[in-house]
Amino acid sequence: MIDRKLTVGKIINYILLVLIAFVCLYPFLNVLAYSVSGYNAVLSGRVTFYPIDFTMEAYKQILGKTQIWRAMSTTVQVTLIGTALSLVLTTFAAYALSQDDLPGRKIITGFILFTMYFGGGLIPTFLVVKGVGLYDTLGALFIPQSVNVFNFIVMRTFFKNLPESLSEAARIDGASYMQILVKIVLPLSLPIIATMGLFYAVGYWNTYFDALLYIQNPDKYTLQLRLRGLLFGEELNSAGNLEGVGMQVMTQSLKMATVLVSTLPILVVYPWLQKYFVKGVMVGSVKG
Amino acid sequence: MKVKMTKKERKAVLVKAWNYKWLYIMLLPVILYYVVFKYVPMYGITIAFKDYNVFKGVFGSEWCGFDVFRKIFGSKNFWLSVRNTLLLNLLTLAVSFPLTIIVSLMLNEVINVRFKKVIQSVLYLPHFISWVVVAGIASNLFSEQDGTVNMMLMSLGAKAIPFLGEEGWWIFTYVLCNVWKEIGWGTIIYLAALTSVDETLYEAAYLDGATKFQRIIYVTLPSIKSVVVTMLILQISKMMTIGLDAPLLLGNKRVMGVSEVISTYTYRLGIESAKYSDSTAIGLFQSLINIIILLAADKFAKAIGEEGII
Repeated sequence: MIDRKLTVGKIINYILLVLIAFVCLYPFLNVLAYSVSGYNAVLSGRVTFYPIDFTMEAYKQILGKTQIWRAMSTTVQVTLIGTALSLVLTTFAAYALSQDDLPGRKIITGFILFTMYFGGGLIPTFLVVKGVGLYDTLGALFIPQSVNVFNFIVMRTFFKNLPESLSEAARIDGASYMQILVKIVLPLSLPIIATMGLFYAVGYWNTYFDALLYIQNPDKYTLQLRLRGLLFGEELNSAGNLEGVGMQVMTQSLKMATVLVSTLPILVVYPWLQKYFVKGVMVGSVKG
Repeated sequence: MKVKMTKKERKAVLVKAWNYKWLYIMLLPVILYYVVFKYVPMYGITIAFKDYNVFKGVFGSEWCGFDVFRKIFGSKNFWLSVRNTLLLNLLTLAVSFPLTIIVSLMLNEVINVRFKKVIQSVLYLPHFISWVVVAGIASNLFSEQDGTVNMMLMSLGAKAIPFLGEEGWWIFTYVLCNVWKEIGWGTIIYLAALTSVDETLYEAAYLDGATKFQRIIYVTLPSIKSVVVTMLILQISKMMTIGLDAPLLLGNKRVMGVSEVISTYTYRLGIESAKYSDSTAIGLFQSLINIIILLAADKFAKAIGEEGII
């Protein structure tokens, strides 16, 4: 470290960074402020940074809606089952293909990597998902996208960089590959598993398009699909119009409360996993 | 003698494969997954060369050569969606690429570890937010009648701006949302590269009397040049692709002329109008262009002495 003293340039740099961080954070503050403001304040457009006429009315309404609860539970199910399936499949593939002496390793790796550059596209995939009977089932939301090539590469690179001596010793003692994976490799790989778990879980949680494409029955709507309906019409707008202005203004707070409720799980989990995922992205950037 | 050897060898190969049985068992579900959900759909591309009939299905429909492609290449909407895809991608890249590098350099200058961590946490956060939520927030901020930004503008005596309702402004808002969402995330790679810059180079430059700014221009940037080039090429190779979520969720009827990109167009054509062959043909066209750009970019990278991307 050459210069530790505070110069004008450094102060400007700090101020600019704080400003940028504020711009990143402000939309969330705005949403929060809207969601807990009284409806006269929302109607007159006075809400900008902080709540005016504080009220939890919007949250009471939103949490009283069975549709929201059902969508939430659907999304939780899809996220949990999907993430578990994705982690198992990706770990298996990445571990097996990280073994340099496995016969056929190159062909199988190529077979997987090729799908990164070329694919059937929307309609052919849609027809296959329909053809195997997944249409309008929750399975359509995680089975067809359970393995992500990028995540596979990241994990394989991680496994390749583990010290070989431990696995080798276990091999000599007669342990099978499955035993080595479960007893030796996995305990050493918790950071990468946490990272991949976060990436997959966020992906499933945020899935909008797959639900739009494959889910017909409103009882199976995911949170994002429900949220989209609430935000941009279909449901609340018509109801709002019927019950007059007061109701319509309530919707703006209600919309923002729904936005926050549906983002909350990510906001809660995120800080705990942050130290891991930076590493994960960096491992992935080193080509395997 | 020779025959015996091969027999022995064959046996050795089998024994070896048996040793790896667990690895093959682990690979089985993944291979199955790729066959069913990635390779079978590739066969489905044949409907781009067929007159798809719902009752006859993928196999039974009649072949029609390049009829579908002729129809598509003659369609105005198709070329509009290609133009919009390129336009939105290029503008986003032009803004986000330099900005990401600048923010990385700014973060790299921060010595206080805790301050840096907090700023990074905040900057990465938008990456994890769904496009539905981003679109919801955007409409709350930018709506023409009661959006927060327009309310502030009007209270300052300015006129409301149709951020989401007018084509030019919509492009601005689209780029803004994309930059907001991904700029922090994009810095991770550069920050990693920046940590490996040789400290002695800075010291030498410092002793030679270089200012802070000169050190960044002449020491820091050249040290991360190869990462910058690789990232640029990766981004350019994605020029023809825009995920469906952003344009579909931010877009509306009034700005369809600029918000309709290839992915949204194939969706509307395929799912909403049930024109399976047309939609598949556009998808195939897009994939082929993608591959051509990728190969060209890779060649270019190698030609200028950088590592390839494939």
